[in-house]
Amino acid sequence: MTYLAAAYGVIWLVVFILVFSMRRRQEKVVEQLETLEEIINEKQ
Amino acid sequence: MKSSRSLLVLNTVAAVAILIAVYLALVQAPEATNVVEEIRPAQRIIYFHVPSAWISMVAFFVTFIASILYLRTNNVRWDIWAYSAAEIGIGFTIAATVSGSIWAKPAWNTWWTWDPRLTTYTIVLLLFIAYFMLRGAIDEPGRRARFAAVYGIFAFLSVPLTFMSIRWWNTIHPVIIDPSAEFGLGPGMSTAFFFSLFAFTILFVDLLANRIMVAWDEERVAALREALTAN
Repeated sequence: MTYLAAAYGVIWLVVFILVFSMRRRQEKVVEQLETLEEIINEKQ
Repeated sequence: MKSSRSLLVLNTVAAVAILIAVYLALVQAPEATNVVEEIRPAQRIIYFHVPSAWISMVAFFVTFIASILYLRTNNVRWDIWAYSAAEIGIGFTIAATVSGSIWAKPAWNTWWTWDPRLTTYTIVLLLFIAYFMLRGAIDEPGRRARFAAVYGIFAFLSVPLTFMSIRWWNTIHPVIIDPSAEFGLGPGMSTAFFFSLFAFTILFVDLLANRIMVAWDEERVAALREALTAN
């Protein structure tokens, strides 16, 4: 049973890391887009 | 707006499919009867280990096709598809390798052996890690995409080799789909096994769609930065 829990734990950890890293990148990129759009609007 | 709603539906479908797969694998599927009693609980690892390996190979196949399409069309969309799929592929290659190693301990009495399947799969992992090292080493986007596409096509050649390794060479790794084989699918195990393959495939499509969406936004940021620098 320990092996089963460990193996499933590893697979869920990988899925969690993938989802978490995508979410972090999405937040970062949305922030950057807003900043850049503000700069462009100020310039116009 | 429409794409984010589609993505939300896809996220929900993937989550529900995975929950059903967990239920089938841990509750509904019978204990394997074709292995010795001590290994029976660990045998349930195959319901998620094999689908992890399956989608890693599907992901690298997407990289392969997208790389060919990039070289033919020079469209950045295919470069985005290629590296997005490769990134997910690496994640699931690690998941399959580690979960396989955990299964091997009770089944083979060792965490690791240089069996043809394990060796070729490790080579696949290293080749696709190198894919990202190559991308990181080239600054010019067009050149980076072209080099990565050529490399991605050649790196993929290791995937069919890994898939066929347990059929071509003398190996201790089981052919799970063969019910007569040791550690193969026993009676009543097929439903949970094939549903898990299906659920993981939906999960892959979902992760890829999300990753591609983030990548498009990153492209927009790069384009806006370039436009600002040019002005």
